[in-house]
Amino acid sequence: MNKVKNSASKMMQPLLAIVVGLIVGAIAMVLAGESVLNTYHEMWKGAFGNFYFFTSTLERSIPIILAGLGVAFAFRAGFFNLGAEGQLVLGAVTTAIVVVYLPFTGVIAIIIAIFSGMVIAGLWSFFAGWMEQRFQINLLISTLLLNYIAVLFAGYLVSEPFRDTSSAGGVPQSVMINDAVKLPALFEGTNLHMGFIFAVVATIILAFIIKRTTFGYEVRMLGQNRFFAQYGGINRKKVMFTSMLISGMLAGLGGGVEVLGMHYRFIEGALTTPQFAWTGLMAALLANSNPIGTAVMAIFLAALDTGSLGVERNTDVPNAISDIIQAVLIIFISARFTFTFLKLKKKEGKKHGKSI
Amino acid sequence: MESLFDLSLINSTLRMMAPLLLAGLGGAICARVGIFNVGLDGLMLMGAFLGIAANVLFENLILATLFAVIGTAIFSLILGYLIINLQANMIVVGIALNFLSIGITTFTLRTMFDVKGAYYDNEMAGLPVIHIPIIREIPIIGNIFSGQTPIVYLGILITILLFFFFRSTVLGSRYDAVGINLTAAKSQGIKVKAIQYQAIIISAVLCALGGVQLSLGQVTMFSENMTAGRGFIALVATMLGQSNPFGVFLSSGLFGFTEAISIRMQSMNIPTNFTLMLPYVITIVAMFIFKDKTQLNALKNNTGSTR
Repeated sequence: MNKVKNSASKMMQPLLAIVVGLIVGAIAMVLAGESVLNTYHEMWKGAFGNFYFFTSTLERSIPIILAGLGVAFAFRAGFFNLGAEGQLVLGAVTTAIVVVYLPFTGVIAIIIAIFSGMVIAGLWSFFAGWMEQRFQINLLISTLLLNYIAVLFAGYLVSEPFRDTSSAGGVPQSVMINDAVKLPALFEGTNLHMGFIFAVVATIILAFIIKRTTFGYEVRMLGQNRFFAQYGGINRKKVMFTSMLISGMLAGLGGGVEVLGMHYRFIEGALTTPQFAWTGLMAALLANSNPIGTAVMAIFLAALDTGSLGVERNTDVPNAISDIIQAVLIIFISARFTFTFLKLKKKEGKKHGKSI
Repeated sequence: MESLFDLSLINSTLRMMAPLLLAGLGGAICARVGIFNVGLDGLMLMGAFLGIAANVLFENLILATLFAVIGTAIFSLILGYLIINLQANMIVVGIALNFLSIGITTFTLRTMFDVKGAYYDNEMAGLPVIHIPIIREIPIIGNIFSGQTPIVYLGILITILLFFFFRSTVLGSRYDAVGINLTAAKSQGIKVKAIQYQAIIISAVLCALGGVQLSLGQVTMFSENMTAGRGFIALVATMLGQSNPFGVFLSSGLFGFTEAISIRMQSMNIPTNFTLMLPYVITIVAMFIFKDKTQLNALKNNTGSTR
C-alpha cells in the first residue's frame, strides 16, 4: 500500500510542475494578447493534431530521448554528464563519414556506421570519466569543455576534408549518403524513421538493466550513497567507466540515427541549434532519471517544441513560448528536489530528538 | 600573413574580450562565495536585450545601460532565491535560467517589436568610442588602448577594483570566508545569505554590462540568442583564471584574442575551428596543472551529486 502511495506521489510532482509551467505559458499568451484556450488548442494541433504532426513530434523526440537516456544513466550512478551535446555531434559526424566511405551499402553498412559513431561518442565520454578518476579533473567542467572541442572538430571535418563541394557556399556539410543506407521511414510520407524503434528499444533495455541486473543495482547504489556502495564492495572505477561509456554511446546513437534517418548527411549546427542535448538533460531531470519517464518526458518536450511551431503559424504568439514553459518546468522541478530534501532532513531531526 | 598580426589586433582583442571579462568576473565573485553560476549566459542575454529595448524607449544610452543593469539584477533574484533559499541544484537552476532568458527575450522581441530573428534600427546610436586624449598620442599604447567603448575601460577598472576588494578589504575576506567554509563563516556571525545574494546581484550587474557591450558596443542590434554561449565561455575563463580577477583578465584575453584572430582568418578563408578550439584545450591542460580550489569548493556546496 505504501509502495503504491509512494509511486503515486512520485508521479504527482512532475505533473504539478507541468501544470505550473502551463499556467506561466498562459500568462505569456495573455501578455501577447491571444486567447489562452485557442493558443493551447493550436499547440495541441501542432503537436498531435493530425498524423503528420504526430509523427513529426515523435521524430523530434528521437535524439532527445537518446541523449536524455544517456544523461539519466550516468546520473543514476551519481555522475553529472553535461557532455551529451558533444557526444551527440561526434556520433553523428562519425556515422555520416563512415557510411559514405564504406565500400558496401545495406543493413551491414548501417550497423557498422551507427556502431562506430556510438563507439567514438562513448570513448569521448569515457575520456572525461577517466580524467576524473585518474587526475580528479571535475567531470562537470571537463564534459562541458569537451563539448566545444567536439562541436568545433566536427565542424572542421565537414568544412575541410569531408566537405560536400558539389554545392557551392552555404553551411558546411558532408556529402549526401546513399539511398541504400538511409533508415527507412516507419510510415509512408512522414519523417518518422527507424531511429524511433531504436530509441524505444534502448529505453526498455536501460530500464531492464537498472531495475533487474546486478550492474544496475551497483549503479543505483553508487548514485545513492557512494561511501556505502564502496563499503559494500562495489568497484567505483568500474561502474563509473562503464556508465560513462554507455552514456556517451546512447548520445552517439542519437546523433547517428538522426544523420541516417533525417538529414541524410551531417550539417554543421543541425543538431546543436535545436538544443537536443540540453532538452534531453531536462527530460532526464524531469523524470528523475527513470528511463521510461525520460522517454515520456522527451516526447512531451518535443511536443512543446513542435506544438509551439504550430502556435506561431496560426497565432501572434511566438514559438519561444515553449522555451519559457520548459524553463519554468525545470525551475519548479529543481525546487521540488529541495522540498523532498528538506522533508528528509526534518524527519532525521525528529528521530534524533526522540533517541536523545 | 602580414595583415594577420598587427597592433589593431590587440585593439580588437580588447573589444572582443570585454563581455567575457565582465561576465567572467561575475562568475569569479560567485565562485568566491561558493556558488557555481551556470546562468551567466542567460544573465548576459537579458542585459543585451534590455539594453536595446531601453535604448529604443528612452533614446538615451546611459538610461539604457542603467535599465539593463537593474533589470538583469532583478532577474537574477530568481537564481538567488532558488539557490540560496531553496538550496536547489545550482547547475540545474543555471541551465533553466538560460532557457528562461532565451524564451523571455525572444518572446518579447517578437511580440513587442514584431520582428523575428534580429532587431536593428539604423538611426539608433550605439555606445560611443572614447579616444583618451593623452594616451592616444603615445605611439604603440595609443593604438592598443584608445578608441574603445566606456564599458571596455570600465571592465579594466573593475578588474583592478575587484583585485583590491578581495585582497585588502574586510568585506572581501568575508566573501572568501563564506566560499571556503560556509558553516564556519556563519558561526562567526557573517550574514552568509546576504553575502551570497550580493555576489549574485553583482555578477548579474557585470553580466548585464557585458551584454550591453555586445548589443550596443560591438554592434547596434539584438538578435535572438545573440550571446551564443559566451556566458559558458566566460565560465571557462573563470575556471582558467582560478577565480582571481587578474587571472580572469588574462584568460578572457586569451579567448578574446582567439576570437579576434579567427575573424581575421575567416576573411582570409583559413579555417578557424582549431584556433577557436585552442582555449578549451588550454583550459583542460591547465586543470591538470592547477587545481582551482574555489571552483571545486563551489561545486562541493552543490546539493545533488556532481562527481
